[in-house]
Amino acid sequence: MTTEIVKYREALFECMDGAMAGNDDAFIIGQGVDDHKGIFGTTLGLAEKYGGGRVLDTPLAEEAVTGISVGAALNGMYPIMTHIRADFMLLATNQIINLVAKYRYMFGGLFKVPMLIRAVVGRSWGQGAQHTQSLQSLFAHIPGLTVIMPSDSSAILGAYPYATNEFAGPVISFEHRLLYELDFKVDREQISKAENPLGSRHLRRGDDITVVATSIMVLEAERAADHLATAGIKCDVIDLNCATSPDSEMIIDSVLRTGRLLIADTSWQAYGVAAEICRLVCETAPSALQAPVVTLGMAPAPCPTAKTLEDLYYPDLHDLCDAICKTVTGAELHGIDLPEKKPMTDTYKHFRGPF
Amino acid sequence: MPSQDLYTRLFHDALTIRRVEERIIELYPFDKIQSPVHLSIGQEAVAVGVCHALRQEDWVFGTYRSHAVYIAKGGDLALMFAELYGKVTGVSEGKAGSMHLAAPEVGMMGSSAVVASSIPHAVGAAFAAKHRQSDQVNVAFFGDGALEEGVAHESLNFASLHNLPLILVCEDNGFAAHSPIESRQKFNRLELLDTYKIPTQRLEDGLDFMKIYEAMSELTAKVRGGGGPQYLEIKTMRAREHVGPGDDFEAGYRSREEFEKWSINDPLIRDTETVALLEAEISQAIDAAVDFAEKSEWPGQAILLTDVV
Repeated sequence: MTTEIVKYREALFECMDGAMAGNDDAFIIGQGVDDHKGIFGTTLGLAEKYGGGRVLDTPLAEEAVTGISVGAALNGMYPIMTHIRADFMLLATNQIINLVAKYRYMFGGLFKVPMLIRAVVGRSWGQGAQHTQSLQSLFAHIPGLTVIMPSDSSAILGAYPYATNEFAGPVISFEHRLLYELDFKVDREQISKAENPLGSRHLRRGDDITVVATSIMVLEAERAADHLATAGIKCDVIDLNCATSPDSEMIIDSVLRTGRLLIADTSWQAYGVAAEICRLVCETAPSALQAPVVTLGMAPAPCPTAKTLEDLYYPDLHDLCDAICKTVTGAELHGIDLPEKKPMTDTYKHFRGPF
Repeated sequence: MPSQDLYTRLFHDALTIRRVEERIIELYPFDKIQSPVHLSIGQEAVAVGVCHALRQEDWVFGTYRSHAVYIAKGGDLALMFAELYGKVTGVSEGKAGSMHLAAPEVGMMGSSAVVASSIPHAVGAAFAAKHRQSDQVNVAFFGDGALEEGVAHESLNFASLHNLPLILVCEDNGFAAHSPIESRQKFNRLELLDTYKIPTQRLEDGLDFMKIYEAMSELTAKVRGGGGPQYLEIKTMRAREHVGPGDDFEAGYRSREEFEKWSINDPLIRDTETVALLEAEISQAIDAAVDFAEKSEWPGQAILLTDVV
């Protein structure tokens, strides 16, 4: 097994470059894709390499650009759209939900509109209510869309080339800003062997509790599992990876084995990924649970800006470990050593300044 | 005489559209067509004049009122009726119905029931045509109300910015559902297009398919020559209610007299000679299409979940 270290940002750049190199009809369109920042470095230099006709800055027109991508896709091109904040994608909701998601089915399979929409979840520090939202459940609710939430470089290197080269449908990817500068171990041979690059990933085996996590919460779940291993608690960690088609067999098998389930999502719990995984388990294997399900997500409010409020708003490693211990021991006062209270941003934020 | 041939060809399609719509009106009370219908009676000439000036490989994108465009672009009648009936033999297996007709084999690339939402699709297809350096022309059909939508403005700007091979066809029937233009638009549409540097042309006689054809032929030549997006607005009148088979002059939001005055020039009424020449063949074709729809099977579980993702 040969591994290398690839940052999330580098993986994204590699996939953008690869998609453009491998298909003369692929194009990248989004606000600032050709500027000196290049979507946090993930499109930097590509306009020079492939020309301004294929790496296009856009007027501030999210809805039209999405519709334009539909027309271009019908006419043989492969559109890659970027939203530097997922929140801005809401301006394109009409096209995404009423057209992109339905163009194949509504016309009885006459058309396909393959495309990749990249949406950056802006959570980092002081980003407030309109720069932080993690909107996966909103879009995963809509049949016709495939929604992925890559949690590391391997997830990107597996899913993106598959989406851009092979997959026939529209894919929305929620990329977490806090992951961009992190180093990840990558085993390319293993990635190329993956059966379903958009599928859930079984990251760790343990018999005490199943932890299903998304995006950056996967990293938190792994850290919690590491910490609790010293206390003898063994976590089964599943990276959901794809919000629209969770690997139900993988999840049910795990819950049947552990009897306990915790879901850690990057968004609100109500009507979201947490609710959906609960539905899946309740409908398929209700008697598997030996303890009530626990879910972790953002507080049910818009995201506040002040750091003190923000730190309360998001669950941290301490909260996650505490929730796992309570569920596994069945006791409020479990007495297990917990990591210190420290906000997640302080752990992961590797950049300074406004973005 | 070649011009007579052209006239007859266009007349043939316009009359086909009218007779198809009239057949739908006859069938509608029997619930054979269980889908809202937005009829094109009165507006046939727009679709016919525009589509006949196009090549088969040119693309059009329509709205929920697209029976006329589907037929004018060359869509198959039997597949259309089967689709309206909701039969599995329909052009989209019954998943589309009246509001989402498409016929990609003749360049009818879909129709959307959300106002203005197909305009950017034509822009995007034009973007791809330019990228491929093909001389394909893309056409967006929309109504006067569509230009009130934000996405229309975004699309106009993008199309002009990139000098795309696109023709914007505005069917001005004066109403968004039942709301007249005066209660909706403070701006002047042609001036608006001017600010986007898109050349405009307005035709006042939306019944004259020959005039529309000629104007459109000039525009397609311009666009193929690299002239960038063009806007063609055509004054027209819809004969029937916004949605459904009836007329609604009694509702009071528009006048029957005005419509009747307008219809005096309708070639489909005036030119009885050409009607007589074509009537039997068109009637037969519609009979066959309806018969095909009647005899076709309903779609079922086998296709409920196909083509979703």
